[in-house]
Amino acid sequence: MRLEFDYAWLLPLLGLALLPLVRSPVTASDTPWNALLPADASSRIWSGLIKLMGVVAIAGLVLGLAGLHRKEYTVDRVGKGAHIVLLLDRSQSMDHSFAGRTPSGAEEAKSAVAERLLSEFIRERKNDRTGVAAFSTGPLFVLPLTDNREAILAAVHALRQPALAQTHIGKGLLLALSYFTGQALTGSRIVLLVSDGAAVVDPDSEQKLRKLFKEHQIRLYWIFLRTLGSPGIFEIPEDPRDDNASIRPERYLHLFFQSLGIPYKAYEAENPAAVREAIADIDRIESLPIHYQARIPRLDLAPFCYGAAGLALLLLVSVKLAEAEPWEKA
Amino acid sequence: MDQRAGISAGFTLRLSIRARDPRFVCVVLALFCVGVALFHPTLKLSRSVFDHIIVVDITRSMNVSDYRINDRPTSRLEMVKSAMRSALRELPCGSRLGLGLFTERRSFLLFEPIEVCSGFEAIDTAIERIDWRMAWGADSRIADGLYDALIHFQDLGANLVFVTDGHEAPPLNPRYKREFGTVKGKLKGVIVGAGGLSLVPIPKFDERGEAVGFYSEDDVPHRSTFGLPPKPPSEIEGYHERNAPFGSELVIGTEHLSSLKEDYLRGLAEEAGLLYSRLENIEDLGRALQNPEFARFETVASDIRWLPVGLALAALVVLYGVLPFRLR
Repeated sequence: MRLEFDYAWLLPLLGLALLPLVRSPVTASDTPWNALLPADASSRIWSGLIKLMGVVAIAGLVLGLAGLHRKEYTVDRVGKGAHIVLLLDRSQSMDHSFAGRTPSGAEEAKSAVAERLLSEFIRERKNDRTGVAAFSTGPLFVLPLTDNREAILAAVHALRQPALAQTHIGKGLLLALSYFTGQALTGSRIVLLVSDGAAVVDPDSEQKLRKLFKEHQIRLYWIFLRTLGSPGIFEIPEDPRDDNASIRPERYLHLFFQSLGIPYKAYEAENPAAVREAIADIDRIESLPIHYQARIPRLDLAPFCYGAAGLALLLLVSVKLAEAEPWEKA
Repeated sequence: MDQRAGISAGFTLRLSIRARDPRFVCVVLALFCVGVALFHPTLKLSRSVFDHIIVVDITRSMNVSDYRINDRPTSRLEMVKSAMRSALRELPCGSRLGLGLFTERRSFLLFEPIEVCSGFEAIDTAIERIDWRMAWGADSRIADGLYDALIHFQDLGANLVFVTDGHEAPPLNPRYKREFGTVKGKLKGVIVGAGGLSLVPIPKFDERGEAVGFYSEDDVPHRSTFGLPPKPPSEIEGYHERNAPFGSELVIGTEHLSSLKEDYLRGLAEEAGLLYSRLENIEDLGRALQNPEFARFETVASDIRWLPVGLALAALVVLYGVLPFRLR
């Protein structure tokens, strides 16, 4: 917690607050001579108080003018939240419906479903730090881990725009993991992969991924948007000749994820309701308490300064009203 | 009843006597002004803010190093990124910035416009991380990419800033020119030309992203061989319908070298109803973004408490500092 000024150059005016110590607001009177009066406690208190009120009034006004405020600061809190990297598939097929067609009428594109439900998810989870990465033929860095909800939503909303080309998942995963490099290890770290397909991960990337997933202690969720009639990730092909990574990349990616030895869960969603369930499930699991930084916003202290000055002035006005009337006029 | 009237009249009399006492006037004036300030008076002011989506060309020709920053050769893309980061710092709070990438025939939106002050860190990092390796295709069809942006970014409430060097690759067939008639005037914006005006070799990278020299003449096509030939067959030297529909002549041009194609971009800008501006120095982009033509006016309640407070302070200074010690 720190106090700061917006216009510190006005602070020298605080010198004016010394004036009331040498000058009095009370009208001087010729006739009575103070030395004639016995020093009594009540007078001393009153004259001290009048001086003090003058000092308070001037100092309060100057401090307020200089923009006294408490700086924004963060405090450590414990709550529900996580570090999440959304890894979004931007391949062409994401713009098709779950039935594998160009969306029409009541049918929504898979990317539109993902956009709608992920936006909801982000709006509801207040304490997460979220980053967004995308991939198509190349990995696309979108937004770093941030707690700026408006920014994350702006990135998720971009899913409404037409998608790109192919699915190069290995590079996408490497990009998502790079978000955690150099980040302090607090709370759980999640990669949430939303895709409707997969591709073979080359051995080189596989090696790196294995190492990084472990090193960064990632928890991986995969929401697989399964298109009608396409092979699922859990299905074992009837013909064993089809059981290889180039014909069933989804199944093999799933097997690869399982072999990583990290907390991993896959959801196969064939319709919007299933996507909603998957997201709700992740929301429930990832509600473990974590340490997070809550922002305490800047506090404008000028009203307090002006309030104090106002009270002081009120007292001075009453003193003035209680002043003895000049002799001549009485 | 009489008594009360007497008290009231007495009070009024006292007040009228006090009113002749300048010290009293000063204190009351100060108190009144402070009272006003406590109600937090504001003035509605309108200020200009700017909403933009910047689409950055990340094709290979943007790797050409024909800029210098601090006397070190800098690639067009690095220069554009530095210029964007400096422009981001200069945009007034309340402005919004979105980011897109151009490659192939598409303009891909990374994120919709975000408020620049609260989102500074996020936007700044996103700009810093733009890389030519994000490209999803090798072509550089600028007119198509621009058209794509003009079509898809219409509902985002922002102007379009399209940053490119104007190097179409492979070369265009003039027969198939992109028509902008349907989108002209739908969006305001500016095409920003990046690069130097003289031809410079384009760096070549291997599949692991390491520099391996430059593109040579033999690496790139120097003319379009797409669709129908641009001229009627009778005018094409060595024309053969099946084997050489574009002629038999070996065309070696300068497509393996790159420079900023200003005339081409000016033409595109005109067709699409956009402005054109060239990026020569880092500050140029910021200036182009804050062109008054793009301003959106936002009313902000500006704090004018300083006015009554200043008056109150002046009254107190008069009271304590100016008025003579004795006053009658």
